[in-house]
Amino acid sequence: MGQTVTSSLQSGAKAPKTIAMKENTEHQALADWLQAVANERSKAAFTHLFKFFAPKIQRIAASKYGNETLASEVVQETMSNVWRKAHLFNPDKGSPTTWVYTVMRNVSFDLLRKIKTKKEDNLSDDFWPLVESSEAEDADSQFQDHLASKEVMRCIDTLPEEQKCVVKGFYFMEMSQEQLAQHLGIPLGTVKSRLRLALAKLKQQIGGEK
Amino acid sequence: MISCHPTQEMLEKFANGELPATLAAAVSIHAEMCSECKAQIAAYTEQQAESGFNGVSSHASSANVNDEDVFAGIDIDDLIAAITATDEIDIALEDKEKTITVKGKEYVLPRALTNMTMSNWSSIGKLARSRVELGEGEIRASLLQIQPGGSVPEHTHKGFELTLLLDGSFEDDMGVYGPGDFIVLDGKHTHNPVSHEGCLCYTVSNDAQHFTQGINKLLNPFGSFIY
Repeated sequence: MGQTVTSSLQSGAKAPKTIAMKENTEHQALADWLQAVANERSKAAFTHLFKFFAPKIQRIAASKYGNETLASEVVQETMSNVWRKAHLFNPDKGSPTTWVYTVMRNVSFDLLRKIKTKKEDNLSDDFWPLVESSEAEDADSQFQDHLASKEVMRCIDTLPEEQKCVVKGFYFMEMSQEQLAQHLGIPLGTVKSRLRLALAKLKQQIGGEK
Repeated sequence: MISCHPTQEMLEKFANGELPATLAAAVSIHAEMCSECKAQIAAYTEQQAESGFNGVSSHASSANVNDEDVFAGIDIDDLIAAITATDEIDIALEDKEKTITVKGKEYVLPRALTNMTMSNWSSIGKLARSRVELGEGEIRASLLQIQPGGSVPEHTHKGFELTLLLDGSFEDDMGVYGPGDFIVLDGKHTHNPVSHEGCLCYTVSNDAQHFTQGINKLLNPFGSFIY
């Protein structure tokens, strides 16, 4: 679906080929930065994202709401959500620009609602969930594998390589965090943060216990 | 099979975050039940994102100058440092299902409604209603339950009325409706919905209903009860 929209947009462009190519490389870079923020908490990657998106968000919000202060607030909220939610970005589901746009749209909706109705109920994530609800097929398979081990393995397989190593080493090979650090030749702190990110992601995908 | 859908304009406004919460909730619920509208919303969102983010950058050189101008006088590094100072990440757990029980019947609430404040249920005959408190002035949202065999007296609308069928079915002289149907009526329409099997609806209206027949005229003051 994303495919068809992109191609129809591109075919409508004036110089389809060059623009498409420019967009593709641009999208690739943006997606890489988002993943670097998600997986490594990379501040350098975030700075690139900030420099790309912040001025555009400022301009879009200022022209939409006619208010520079409100626009700055939208920028700040949006970018800090990008920092905290980057792990929810899924390159298979859409482009990085669309994802950041939805983050901005949600932030703006909640901000405006707060101003107009004095309500701080932050409904946007309920209206436009950043995480898709699980597929209908889950209902059938729910009880066949009650420890959900297949599901867990499938989720682990979707982790970035370096997080996968740490999770498998720690949980399946029962290595200590120190052993893992030594074995992989990385600092202990890195092992810890990779584990933490990996677990957050798994929790996210599996749903967790309330 | 869903036969009534939001208009394209509504879907586009929803994608842009421009609908009031009362209506955004309705479109969101409908889209969860209707893959066509969901795909359409995704397409509008993508278009908006493209024109917003890529559109500006295609005026290459002038946009670059502007990009710096926009933040003239603001220390970007400070902003970035402030944002990245926290190492917390947002874990969006999938929503736990929330159910409500009305007159002994249990319903699973759509996700869009799970965090909304609702008033106690009040009822007249076979109708029961709970107001959804969204604070949008004259645009008011409610959950309306019609018990089996119940009906809403024939009425017209002074403003608009949206009925989104969540569960069960009802019919009026224009057709039979089922879950997911998104029915918008305005002052031009008169209708008299009857539900044989009972139903639960999410309704939004910007004015009280106007009852048109005989004894029901007496009910007029109650128009605001139902919607």
